[in-house]
Amino acid sequence: MGVKAFSDEWASDFKDEVNKSGAYKSAAKGWKWTVGLVVEAEPDKHFPEAKGIVMDLFDGEARDIKVGPASDAQKCDFVITAPYSRWKEVATKQLDATKGMLQGKLKLKGDLPTIVRYTKASQEMTECTTRIAVEWPDDTIR
Amino acid sequence: MARRHDKVKAPPQQPDLVDYADNEPSAFASMLGGLIEANVRSRPEKKRDFDSLVARVGIWVTDIDEGVTLDFKGQGGKLTVHNGLKPRRTITIRADAETVMSLSNLKIGLMGMPVYYDEVGRGVAAKLLRGKLKIDGLLPNIVTLNSVTRIFSVQ
Repeated sequence: MGVKAFSDEWASDFKDEVNKSGAYKSAAKGWKWTVGLVVEAEPDKHFPEAKGIVMDLFDGEARDIKVGPASDAQKCDFVITAPYSRWKEVATKQLDATKGMLQGKLKLKGDLPTIVRYTKASQEMTECTTRIAVEWPDDTIR
Repeated sequence: MARRHDKVKAPPQQPDLVDYADNEPSAFASMLGGLIEANVRSRPEKKRDFDSLVARVGIWVTDIDEGVTLDFKGQGGKLTVHNGLKPRRTITIRADAETVMSLSNLKIGLMGMPVYYDEVGRGVAAKLLRGKLKIDGLLPNIVTLNSVTRIFSVQ
């Protein structure tokens, strides 16, 4: 039994996974900006309201990861936006986040040279989401 | 959350260095154009390369089946980005998405040469040897490739 997708418990597990990752710690050395993930609503997938994940990341450590309104995530230095089902594809390894960004499936806002410099860190962060057992609303509700 | 003092600032309004040939540039075209523009604006050494480079560079990402043509026009620095591969290219780079991102992470060393002896550089060189990175027109255009790499690199 997993945690509910994009819930407070999910955020806590995500933070633990990031902080357990040696690969992330070394790839994200020097990172000092906030990252917001905007999960857009998809009522037909039983995800009725947009959510924002605010990640306070500093020098290879996740200091805090919180789930709140999308508007909070939109204030971060870097913002990645996608509908719920795209994020689900990323977290279930059906979509590679780098490819998703190049294809416009995930929309990125922020200083491009900085995010490209930390490609490895963002790949490892994506890997961390795939290690969390998640209960997806469109899988559990019939 | 602790306050950050090193915010990423939007650059002040300046004339465009990069324009797009298509009414609706692809996400990949917008990303590459945006990356090059940000690089050139923030680093004078890249601006010098950008101002003088005249070349048509194709980049094809094999695992998403998408590409762009970067038309560097010299003229004191102007780039037009086209969706897809256009004819009369000087160089065409074909690689998967991860390798394309690695190319933009190549360090630039002495004499402005890309560094192929660190971890990222060795990875790129190995992909070239294994045929996972293909560069059409490489041999007669090494100088152009080095200029493009310098402009493209975020390191």
